[in-house]
Amino acid sequence: MRVLWRFNQRINQWRAMRAITEALRVAYPFLLVMALLDFFGQGWLTKTGFFYQIYHVKQWLPAVDLWQQLIQAISIVINGLVAVMVAFTTGHYLARTYQSDALAVGMTSALAFLTLNVNYLALGDPNRNSATGPSQFLEGNLGPQGIFLAIVVGLAVGWGASHLMKVLGRWWLAHRQTPLSWTGRIAIPLSLILLVTVSVGYALSWLNTGGLNTLVYLSFQALNTNLGHHGLRILAVTAMSNGLWWLGLIGPIDVAGNSSVTSLQNLAYAVQHGSGWGAPHPITLHTLGDAYANFGGAGMTLALLIAIGIGSHQARYRRVAGQTLLPNLVNLNEATLLGLPVLFNPILLIPFVIAPAVNIAVAWTAISWKLVPPIVYPVPRTTPGPLVAFLGTGGDWRALALSLLCLVLSVLIYLPFVRLLNLEGGADHAA
Amino acid sequence: MRHSWWRWLILVVVIVAVFIPSQAWLSKRISQYKSDYRTPLNPIIMVPGSSASQDRFDTLITQLRQETKVPHSVLKVKVMEDGQLSYTGSIKRGDNQPFIVIAFENNRDGYSNIVKQAAWLDLAFKDLAKTYRFNHFSALGHSNGGLALSLFMEDYLPKIKSVTADKLMTIATPYNMETDSTTEQTPILKDLINGRKNLPKKLVVYSVAGSETYSSDGTVPANSVNQGKYVFQNQVAHYTQITVTGDNTTHSDLPQNRQIVLLIRQYILQEVLPAKDRYTPPTKQSRNASSDPGETGLP
Repeated sequence: MRVLWRFNQRINQWRAMRAITEALRVAYPFLLVMALLDFFGQGWLTKTGFFYQIYHVKQWLPAVDLWQQLIQAISIVINGLVAVMVAFTTGHYLARTYQSDALAVGMTSALAFLTLNVNYLALGDPNRNSATGPSQFLEGNLGPQGIFLAIVVGLAVGWGASHLMKVLGRWWLAHRQTPLSWTGRIAIPLSLILLVTVSVGYALSWLNTGGLNTLVYLSFQALNTNLGHHGLRILAVTAMSNGLWWLGLIGPIDVAGNSSVTSLQNLAYAVQHGSGWGAPHPITLHTLGDAYANFGGAGMTLALLIAIGIGSHQARYRRVAGQTLLPNLVNLNEATLLGLPVLFNPILLIPFVIAPAVNIAVAWTAISWKLVPPIVYPVPRTTPGPLVAFLGTGGDWRALALSLLCLVLSVLIYLPFVRLLNLEGGADHAA
Repeated sequence: MRHSWWRWLILVVVIVAVFIPSQAWLSKRISQYKSDYRTPLNPIIMVPGSSASQDRFDTLITQLRQETKVPHSVLKVKVMEDGQLSYTGSIKRGDNQPFIVIAFENNRDGYSNIVKQAAWLDLAFKDLAKTYRFNHFSALGHSNGGLALSLFMEDYLPKIKSVTADKLMTIATPYNMETDSTTEQTPILKDLINGRKNLPKKLVVYSVAGSETYSSDGTVPANSVNQGKYVFQNQVAHYTQITVTGDNTTHSDLPQNRQIVLLIRQYILQEVLPAKDRYTPPTKQSRNASSDPGETGLP
């Protein structure tokens, strides 16, 4: 533990790490608003929402569609552009540490990030500007999916632009004997950087259709298909998936898969036989990962919040945990991941990967020993984590007990790491 | 920590408020899955007309097997007058579209006989559904067999909760018996019209008529076949009338008529036929088909 703490301290000295943490901290309030809206939008107002279904919202709430569309509109703006914000804040903070023009560098890095996600294939399309034409940006990459790329771009541009401006200013002064104007100091690096990123983006568009992001995602998605029934492989893939989440590569492996062939076959079996006992595919990513290792979203963040509630003395952690509890109940944990932040936090990486892995192992054992049936009925994605297994098995109490056991185990796994983080910041940050 | 007791209270209330409705939702969903679930086994039940035995469809079945290159297995059931069932043939394992021919020892024409045949059909059907555990099926009736099937769908099928009918094709079925009149209604037509509200709402019905002369296939008047619209139109999801002319269109030749074989393949077996063999109905009577996407949006 002490080694880990020292490692954490060392890493936090790095300018890049500080920039990332700071950038995520700035983005957090926006994400929090989004997450709370999503809690209502996805949980209460969409047809597939958990609360929408159990409380029959449609029957008593007038104008459901209108509410839904309002929230959707805000969601498109904030959630859809969160990566752009992160690119801006990362570049901005890094530039500030170099005493450079922070705002200009931030904007440059946001623009550079956007150039990497222009829909290059649509550029030659004559319908490009019409309503029905292809979109001009790869919009999927501007949301939470793109956070990793945004951080990378923000760091690169923040560093590159700051240095470029300094070097350019000095060179100009030396050769022209007059200081370079503010406009020139910004315009020239901006053009150079955009030239580089546009060429990179354009070159990548020859490789695949979805931009740089999709390239990364595709390579990991290949792992997800045909996972089969091997518990160990499921374990490995989930662990890796969570590791990627920690890096900000959110959701390359789509864990929630009610509609895969195996799940449908399980459902067909259950419908014919009345329960999930003896279902053809008891061990899948869905029956293990979705049911027992996804409370609050990837990495069992619901357990992290509980652990913070029990063991953390950091005022900030407790505040973030309280604020993001509701979205975590419906498995929307982006705000927690970016707010604490869990992302790029070396101490939390360990429980973030281990807690779900332990849960999968426990569930795997329980299902193989026929202590609980596998989940067979589809449940909404926004079902509170500990209820997924209970509802998915058609109301099996043993599954609920196992869920609670998994939750307790995860809290216990998170607790020592949360306590370790109490050391952070010294007295001025303590509650 | 002053207010810790009411925090716990709120927690308990929230858990209960989520847990209990989710229970209710769950049981509703499970029963819905059960009712929506369709077994892979989807038999085609064939009922021959009057004076015909369980072998009536042999030529048709041979033709269908040859053309579809699928060895549909055939199970034949004969219902005796005392309700005894005698089976010949079998449904092969893995064959999801078997043909089941249900014939009657008393296969005579006439109102009272047909009403009895519908009851016998029910008897055989219940036994089949119990043995083979299918929960949906299609049906094909020739001549009076179509009447027995229609009566069965109105009077008996609604009581069998576990099974739904997908499609019904009647070939030269005289809904108004031998009457050529368009105003007079025979008892069987009256029965069918009275019971039409009981027809399955999602059923798709095709009524095929043959025409040798302009008004008849030699046995059944075209007007009598046409009366079917008063039974099905606006009651079932779709009701389509098709008239076939040309070779082999006399009443008893119809089940092996080449055009009708193609119609069976297209509509009952739901094959995708090559464009040249496909029949596109010129007019189609349809009620709003239930096109609710349902719960497909679930992740």
